[in-house]
Amino acid sequence: MIRNTRMKRFSIVSVVATVGALVFSTLPAQAADPGVSAKEIVLGYSGPLTGSAGQVYGKLPGAMKAYFDHINANGGVYGRKIKLVVRDDKYLPTLAATQTTNLVLNDKVFALVGALGTATHSKAYVAASLAKKNVPDLFVNTGFSGFADKAKYPTTFTILPSYAMEAKIMAKFIKETPTLAPQASFLIAQDDEFGVDGVNGFKLAGHKFAAPATLYPQGGLSAALAEGALTGLSAVPGKPVLVLFGTTDSTATILKAAEKLSLVSKFTWIAGSVGGDANTLLALGVKPATINGALAASFFPDAKNATDSYVSEFMKINTKYNSGVSFDNVVLQGMNSAMLTVQSLRAAGKNLTRTGLIEAIESKGAGFASAGLVPLNFSATSRVGYNGYWFGQLNEKGELKPFGGKLAIYTTDSASTSAPTASSYERKPVPKNGVPTNS
Amino acid sequence: MKNLKLKKGLTAILSAALITTFTVVIPSTARADVSCTEVSKLYSDFSYEECVGTDFQGANFKIRMPEKFNGTLFLYSHGIRNQVLLPIIPGVNPDGSYSRVRNMPDVAPGRTAADQEANALNLLSQGYALAGASPRNQGWAVPEAIEANLNLLEEAKTLYPKIKKIVSWGDSLGGHISQSLSEQYGVIDATVNLHMAGSASAQFNYAGDVFWLTKVLFDPTMKGSGYTNKSPNDPEGYAEFLGDVTKALTVLNALATAIGRNPVAPAWPETATNIPASLKAVPVRSAILLLGLLSGIPTQSQTYDASSGPAGPLETTFGVAISPALAVLENYAAALALGTVSYYDAETRCGGIVFDNTATDYAARLGDNGDIFAAALSGKTATKGLLGFLNPLNPAAPRVKGDAKAIECINNQSQYAGKVTVPTITLSQTADNITPAGYVQSFKNKYSQMVASKKAKPGMLLNIWNKPPDTYTKFTARGSGIAPTVPTTGTTHYMFTNQQVMAVAKLAAAAAKTGKLPSVKTAKSAFKGDASIFIDPDYTPALLPQDK
Repeated sequence: MIRNTRMKRFSIVSVVATVGALVFSTLPAQAADPGVSAKEIVLGYSGPLTGSAGQVYGKLPGAMKAYFDHINANGGVYGRKIKLVVRDDKYLPTLAATQTTNLVLNDKVFALVGALGTATHSKAYVAASLAKKNVPDLFVNTGFSGFADKAKYPTTFTILPSYAMEAKIMAKFIKETPTLAPQASFLIAQDDEFGVDGVNGFKLAGHKFAAPATLYPQGGLSAALAEGALTGLSAVPGKPVLVLFGTTDSTATILKAAEKLSLVSKFTWIAGSVGGDANTLLALGVKPATINGALAASFFPDAKNATDSYVSEFMKINTKYNSGVSFDNVVLQGMNSAMLTVQSLRAAGKNLTRTGLIEAIESKGAGFASAGLVPLNFSATSRVGYNGYWFGQLNEKGELKPFGGKLAIYTTDSASTSAPTASSYERKPVPKNGVPTNS
Repeated sequence: MKNLKLKKGLTAILSAALITTFTVVIPSTARADVSCTEVSKLYSDFSYEECVGTDFQGANFKIRMPEKFNGTLFLYSHGIRNQVLLPIIPGVNPDGSYSRVRNMPDVAPGRTAADQEANALNLLSQGYALAGASPRNQGWAVPEAIEANLNLLEEAKTLYPKIKKIVSWGDSLGGHISQSLSEQYGVIDATVNLHMAGSASAQFNYAGDVFWLTKVLFDPTMKGSGYTNKSPNDPEGYAEFLGDVTKALTVLNALATAIGRNPVAPAWPETATNIPASLKAVPVRSAILLLGLLSGIPTQSQTYDASSGPAGPLETTFGVAISPALAVLENYAAALALGTVSYYDAETRCGGIVFDNTATDYAARLGDNGDIFAAALSGKTATKGLLGFLNPLNPAAPRVKGDAKAIECINNQSQYAGKVTVPTITLSQTADNITPAGYVQSFKNKYSQMVASKKAKPGMLLNIWNKPPDTYTKFTARGSGIAPTVPTTGTTHYMFTNQQVMAVAKLAAAAAKTGKLPSVKTAKSAFKGDASIFIDPDYTPALLPQDK
């Protein structure tokens, strides 16, 4: 009797242990890094939600969250739901440092995703000790080529092509476009690492502007300054090419100055990818007729092109999980970064660690599905995301159509004098229902 | 049960009302050259005995011994005090604090005298003994203070043989003294350094850079350094020094007025006679910020958080471009008295110029801050122009050649080296304007080097940080910043609460008993619920530019 009771107890314990082992073997192992548990992965975003930059980029985290909600509704990443903690840094360096530190120390995020801005994020990266803590810093939204420095930013992966790449490709475009090449060209640029990166790109390409660049500090381009610059250039004969290498609010200030001075048709306008977002320009009061015909560079499909498979899929997700928010380039960018994040998490495997995530992007990131029309360049030695552009022309609706009716994609690097090359890159099909299944 | 204990503890502290004081003068028999007066103070919950005296070198000291002594003595070192006397000057020495030599000892830290007394009573009520000394000479008196502390410890142990453990603590230069004492003599069981001063080299190069940049950018008639020093208390040098204080104050007032008139594009002061017209097109706020970044003045101050802006069209611009400059200006003004007096003290102490910037590359020193603050510096071109003006070949910006012997002298003042062998805790502010956070990082680096060379014990240093709220600037309806009545936590030079001081004292006392540093978890628990405290071993504040 005694023996039987003992045996029965032993049997129950054994069964419980066996069942437990079976159950736990099907669940992801509990990782030691902060922000990841058997049920959840906590990610963090610091960027502008309010203030002047919030008007332009405020949609970014909502778009990422909408995509993560879509993934969560479809089983998450190996059973783990993704939670995105969002903090508003107003695009201010000191506040970005504070908010990023809060994300790491208080919110205990596993990784950061989509941080926006050069001055903001370079200060935040150091202040929050991201390198020391090995916090993955995914798909930073800035084209500053300095973030590709693996020694300085060992956990960072950029997403945008660098400003230097953009300038090199712009220079090639001007040189090879018969209507532009003979014209005098001028540059109006932000007087910081953004503009300097661009100026360096033009130098690498051997492009000669007709005059030294007109430079202005970020946020320091007044209507009067813009009007003065345009008035000074209005005497240049022909139809000069005017390259605008700044943020969208600065592009808007210059275009509105041109409207006021009736100089819109005097110039051929080329806006950089950061400052050429048509929706934002229109929202900032630039007339549709003004942007009509303006040239702009992009590495994405046009967000208004619903025939694009990625745009179409993201639009569906946006309608379902981001109710009331209009779909535009910023939403496209946010969802694309979120989709890359999900693929990165999947590639890192069930036993998720910070080191594993970084290694997974290095080894598999170049092969991720992405809306970008240019290749991704992640590898063990490269933290650069996209590396190319195509040129388009805006119409009054704000649609960016391939220049000359044919999509021509060029890729290049940030540091060499080698000319951009035509790319035959064909992106991967959008994952079924927008849900990646990679490993 | 836990709540009951807490309640009892609070009740004990709150009910510690002084009932009566008995003063009994008892000449000490321990040492012939020390006279000791004992005062018994009887409280409702506890009582202690106070012994005040003067050691054979003229340092004053004070010991407070509770009736129910638990065996641990807190030895406190106060911060730097002026050796040179200043007249009353509005904005610099309004209350006459710097008009007299102050060499009376304190026994506990605190933001105000009332806080110091509250902290002292709190510790006494828990059974801790307290002691403090103040040397005859003030200024950068590290060797004298260490000697005074050693004399005091000898006296205390003679009078009270039950002393078993000693916690050395201090704030500002007192932290530096406390750390130096702890490293150089094996008499300390645990150390607490509150907003600890940096090395002499770091502190006086910080002050030297501030004065030199003020001189070359805003008023070339300032002397800045090299005050006449033919004899002790040289009246000519003293007059030069006072002249500089007045000029610096005039510059600060002019800069503040200019920003008040036009925050976006404030004009340069009339005294900036060496600045070419092309550079004067750069808003002077950018030059102020550059001065701060090149010298190490924090870009957050008690009023300005380098983030907030008044509601309206200037909101973002103010946060990114104006607030950091105003923070530098406010920090500069607040530190002016201490900085000038300390620097002048150092020159008179060592008989020459203790600052040399003949080899300083200010352009390289700006580093990443040139990108981070590009907008506030009015862009790369403006920054390049200002840095060009500071280049060593510009005769309008002559560099300062230091006196090698004087520099050696000031650097040879018994300073700490990171040779930590007992549990050591720092409590510092992330935006301290006199002892910036980078000094603690420098100390951490020194400690790491000592551990690597096996001259220090690993796992003996815990750094606790006091920070400001995420945003805190308040504005008037007209868009001006409102200075807080109580300085913002994490800013200025002493913004620890009494609760924080008591928490760190308790951690140190436990460490003194066990010989082990409290874990990060234990330390976090001690500050639970305190939003202004963070403990992150990975936190690496930027070194001061002079230390890089």
